[in-house]
Amino acid sequence: MASMACFAIVSKNDIPIYEAEVGSAPKKEDLAYQHQFILHAALDVVQDLAWSTNAMFLKSVDRFNDLVVSVYFYLYNNIVFFNLMTHARFMLLHDSRSEDGIKSFFQEVHELYIKIFLNPLYLPGSRITSSHFDTKVRALARRYL
Amino acid sequence: MEPGVSIESGSAIRVAVLPVGGPISPARLRDYAALVARHARVDLASLRPYYSEHQKSPFAHQPWGGGCLRLKFVLGGCVPSPWEDFQSSRKVLAVVGICHLPSSPDLGRVAADFVDAARSYPSALASRCFAFCPTDAQLVQKKRDNIIMFPPSDQQSLELHMLTMIQDLSASLLMEFEKWVLRAESTGTILKTPLDSQSSLGSEEVIKAKKRRLGRAQKIIGDYCLLAGSPADANAHYATAIELARLTGDVFWHAGALEGSVCALVVDRMAESDPVLEDEVKFRYYTIIQLYRRATLQDNAQRVSPVSFELEAALKLARYLCRRQCAKEVSDLLMGAADGAKALIDASDRLILYIEIARLFGTLGYKRKAAFFSRQVAQLYLQQDNAYAAMSAMQVLTTTTTAYHVQSRKTSKMDHGLLKLYWLSLFDSGNTDPGKLHPQSVVSLFESQWSTLQMVVLREILMSSIRAADPLSSWSAAARLLRLHSFPLHPSQREIVKRNPNKKEWWTGGGPSGPFIYTPFTKGGTSGTSKQEVNWIVGEPVQVMVELANPCSFDLIVESIYLSVHSGNFDAFPVSVNLPPNTSKLVLLSGIPTQVGQVSIPGCIVHCFGVITEHLFKEVDCLLLGAAQGLVLSDPFRCCGSSKFKSVNFPSISVVPPLPLLVANVVGGDGSILLYEGEIRDVLITLTNAGTVPVEEANVALSGKNQDSVISIAHSTWKSALPIKPGGEVTFAVTLRAWHLSPTDLEADGSRSPANSRRIAREGSNPFLDIHYAGPSGNSESNDVSLPPGRRLVVPLNICVVQGMRLVRARLLSMELPARFTDAHLRSVSSKDNLSNGSDAIRNDISLLKIDPYKGSWDLRLLELELFNPTDVVFDVDVSVHLDGTSVEQKILPEDKTASSACHKTRIDRDYSARVLIPLEHFKLPVLDTSFFVKENGSDEPLGSRAATLAEKNAKAELNASINNLISKIKVKWHSGRNSSGELNIKDAIQTALQASIMDILLPDPLTFSFRHAKDGTTAKTDSSKEPGDGSSRSADESVLRCKDPIFANEMTHMEVQIRNNTKETIQMNLSISCKDVAGENCFDENSATVLWAGVLSDIYLEVQPLQEPGNRLEEQELQGKPSPVSELLKCAGFYALRKLQKVVIEIERNEARLEKIANVARAALTRMNNGETLSQEEMKSYLEEIIRLASI
Repeated sequence: MASMACFAIVSKNDIPIYEAEVGSAPKKEDLAYQHQFILHAALDVVQDLAWSTNAMFLKSVDRFNDLVVSVYFYLYNNIVFFNLMTHARFMLLHDSRSEDGIKSFFQEVHELYIKIFLNPLYLPGSRITSSHFDTKVRALARRYL
Repeated sequence: MEPGVSIESGSAIRVAVLPVGGPISPARLRDYAALVARHARVDLASLRPYYSEHQKSPFAHQPWGGGCLRLKFVLGGCVPSPWEDFQSSRKVLAVVGICHLPSSPDLGRVAADFVDAARSYPSALASRCFAFCPTDAQLVQKKRDNIIMFPPSDQQSLELHMLTMIQDLSASLLMEFEKWVLRAESTGTILKTPLDSQSSLGSEEVIKAKKRRLGRAQKIIGDYCLLAGSPADANAHYATAIELARLTGDVFWHAGALEGSVCALVVDRMAESDPVLEDEVKFRYYTIIQLYRRATLQDNAQRVSPVSFELEAALKLARYLCRRQCAKEVSDLLMGAADGAKALIDASDRLILYIEIARLFGTLGYKRKAAFFSRQVAQLYLQQDNAYAAMSAMQVLTTTTTAYHVQSRKTSKMDHGLLKLYWLSLFDSGNTDPGKLHPQSVVSLFESQWSTLQMVVLREILMSSIRAADPLSSWSAAARLLRLHSFPLHPSQREIVKRNPNKKEWWTGGGPSGPFIYTPFTKGGTSGTSKQEVNWIVGEPVQVMVELANPCSFDLIVESIYLSVHSGNFDAFPVSVNLPPNTSKLVLLSGIPTQVGQVSIPGCIVHCFGVITEHLFKEVDCLLLGAAQGLVLSDPFRCCGSSKFKSVNFPSISVVPPLPLLVANVVGGDGSILLYEGEIRDVLITLTNAGTVPVEEANVALSGKNQDSVISIAHSTWKSALPIKPGGEVTFAVTLRAWHLSPTDLEADGSRSPANSRRIAREGSNPFLDIHYAGPSGNSESNDVSLPPGRRLVVPLNICVVQGMRLVRARLLSMELPARFTDAHLRSVSSKDNLSNGSDAIRNDISLLKIDPYKGSWDLRLLELELFNPTDVVFDVDVSVHLDGTSVEQKILPEDKTASSACHKTRIDRDYSARVLIPLEHFKLPVLDTSFFVKENGSDEPLGSRAATLAEKNAKAELNASINNLISKIKVKWHSGRNSSGELNIKDAIQTALQASIMDILLPDPLTFSFRHAKDGTTAKTDSSKEPGDGSSRSADESVLRCKDPIFANEMTHMEVQIRNNTKETIQMNLSISCKDVAGENCFDENSATVLWAGVLSDIYLEVQPLQEPGNRLEEQELQGKPSPVSELLKCAGFYALRKLQKVVIEIERNEARLEKIANVARAALTRMNNGETLSQEEMKSYLEEIIRLASI
């Protein structure tokens, strides 16, 4: 289990619509902020990479000290979806190297996210407040990370 | 490390600019310095007039046509670097003094001052002192050589004058360089860096150093060529230096020379930028970085590390490549450099590194990265404890505000301007309404930005500005922070509770009592009227929900709408609304009460179409009423779709003085806490006082479901933090233990997803923390008037329990066949009762219970727990048994069926099961009580006896209690991951496992034996004082006879056997003592008898008195204290020289007639002894001989 990790879903407008501090490091508020700062900074690199690759899962796109950022993103190039929502990025800050676990974590979260997305009451791009989603994501994090 | 390095910086001549003489105001100094610094580049061609060639110039290829000298002015100078021999551009090669003459009238003093200042730069080859604004008196003074006065004139001529002076300085520098190089070529120099050991060199190293010297000298000459503006010459020297360094293995200087050569290359072809050059630079620089890294590894042991050169090289290359096209490469380089920060020992080096990284990312267009590193810089600044550092931190943080979108309102509007433009072009309708935006942008406006980051950045700006003592920026940061950082509050979290002044615990009465959220009885009783009381608090924003309807068929743009308040103690905030045709909308109108008193809100004021109107809520009622009666044409709400008749009772609103406002948040996120069943975890809760009044008293209690899942609350922590001042914080821990999922939960889960058997807890099963708190209890004078109300804060503890390890079954393993109580025995017990009553019962139900004290009844049973791990993580199980008296936790090695028993914990992988063994050793009851058997023996009992059933009940209760007691001592703890741990609920399972055989575990054997030597025939008080608790749990080791004292041959040895009767009954027994060899052979039958007297003491009939009360150990002690008859008897037996008493076999027999005789003899002796007589040895002997005679018949 990773000692610490921070997971965030970042919407098209570079706004986090969901963030969670997963893992079981001693929880210090400052540290959690630092994690979000690292994720935010990684957006620059991610933005550039997004145009140069077809892969959905980008491991270790950015790093700071011992923490590594991995990103999972997808583009619906579908005309129907175009106006609604095109581009959300799952960003995970972690210190473990188990690539497979991270990948499967992303895939499962993706499924959860699609379920949220299909909810007619959910305004695409707004914050995900569902506690159900939250618990599921945390459970997944416990399982894979 | 040095700031602002680039590839070309190797060609810049460093010039220190120092203020000398009297004080110069900072602005003026800046002006003068700017005047000097404008001439950073001096064309070689312009130096001709000042340059005179004394010797043949060593710079053969000097480009007099197009070349130039580069000057780097360092205002205020710098401390000499220890590395300046390595890179000449680090040396301060010239000193320029700046003097403001009006403030320093004495020119001689100025000159002396300047000489002093220049002395601290021994490497300087030229120096000039510029004096500005001389007074007339100073102008007419005798001219001094070393002070150059700039007569007062206009700016243009001043600049011209300065240019001349700088050209003069440059020319003299150039000539100095020539001289230096010529000298170095002829005589050679000794060049050292901190890397070369400073101490005396070994002979080997001296040779090595000599070899290297030539290469190093070439490198330095190359440096000077470069400084002199002759890259071609430099290149030639560097090439030689590289060769030499490679040959001598001088890695560090090799890298340095290579770096110089790249610099020469770049400077030489400054104008052009072709990809070939770029590739060349890239290739060489990667080599340089590699070489530096090698040098670092080599010199790892040394105190100084050249790692900063490696990082500088990376930064130089990054700066050179810093373009959008090379973004990936640059960011890789910079990230690598950022990783190197850890290797930097000096904090200021790290600071410079981060500054450079931030700058380069900024140039690259990576705004967020730049902001991130700027923030790192600011944090490093904040670690220094002075106002200047804080000021720098503040300034750096201010630069990050754009990246984090925390700039002031105006600029943020600009961002959205772009968006608007886009929509305009799409719809081309000339609609410039700012309110009409696409949902997407509404979202972005609504969610603003990454708010956590904004908050942190603003807080840091606030902190640094406070430290920098800059009130203006602290104010603005605080204001912005307030705007962002408004606490999202649920109404339930600001609930007001009336305080009862007469009651100490005022919170108990208030708040919802009982299981109901709303009770009509309490509500109705107090108010009576339909008018509701609403309390608002001064300074806390309130919201009023207003429904607006637009019955028109066109858009209604309400420019602003706000609550109209006539009482004048309320600040209303206007909002603007856009109502599409035929719609209605709920709008929250907010405001802040400003003064204590009554507030009446009759309506709201609307600015629409340039007209200001006051809409009264009462009129809406009238309108609706009219619509209902058909008086008014249209009901605006009905035509908008909401047809409900709305009639509002206006509550009477009173404003109360400010109250404290506690805001709670769970550290680590407000999401639910995911726990496995039985997991124990500490949750930290932070309470912040967001109000303006200190919290003086508080009470934390539990409510809601599953309250028992909260094990403890650190009351002392928050209590010690009281009173919590406004803005104060307290963090306290709450220890949680996850409850166990009920079978129905598990079932429901299984049916839903059989593969993945995890369970998400239902909502509403969480416990709540009810925090009642209040501010100070009013001013002391008007104490009795009224007590300000308290408040209630409800903090839900969102616990989500997932299924953890499951106990499959528990069963009892008996290791050996224990001594059993058969029915026959039980019956015999009762029949023996009859016997003791005197009735002559026929004891035909012969049942012999043979007890071998070495076999069978050592009380060891094993409880086996089979555990299954259906989760996805690995569990470590740890079993411990807590003993009664001792708080020491006894760790028992749980045996794994697969793992070796050496590991202390049983590890259970996912989807595996394992067995854990728990030895049950220490649970024997002190007394065997037949009342336990009563219910099993029910057939013998007289039916319908009330007393019997009562006794049975008691026995049952006692039994259950003892089982529970036993179970509570066994703890199965588990660990998973790094810090989740908990306890397994095994109570029920164990209970069922033990129910059947609880007797075996709890009840002691009917008799316990212990043996020891008796000394000199007197009964031993020796070690009979065994701990009472140990008596029933004596293990085999303890009961084996230990001969500490030697037994002498041919001497009589006294033996003592202590028999304890654990039952309540008198047990009659027959002891037969046989003597055996060590090998187990009979030691008196054969010829080689080792025993003197070959008699066998057998068939001793005796009665052991029962323990009077079960569990009473005092009684037991008494018994041990005085010699029990049995021990006396056996002591007598010892007379007959049982040399090696290996085993005592005791038979309890009661039916042989001859035993009666023996018993009679024994009784006779016993009665005498019991009556207090002391038997002489002779008497004792005679008794025993009689007994033996009887026995051997």
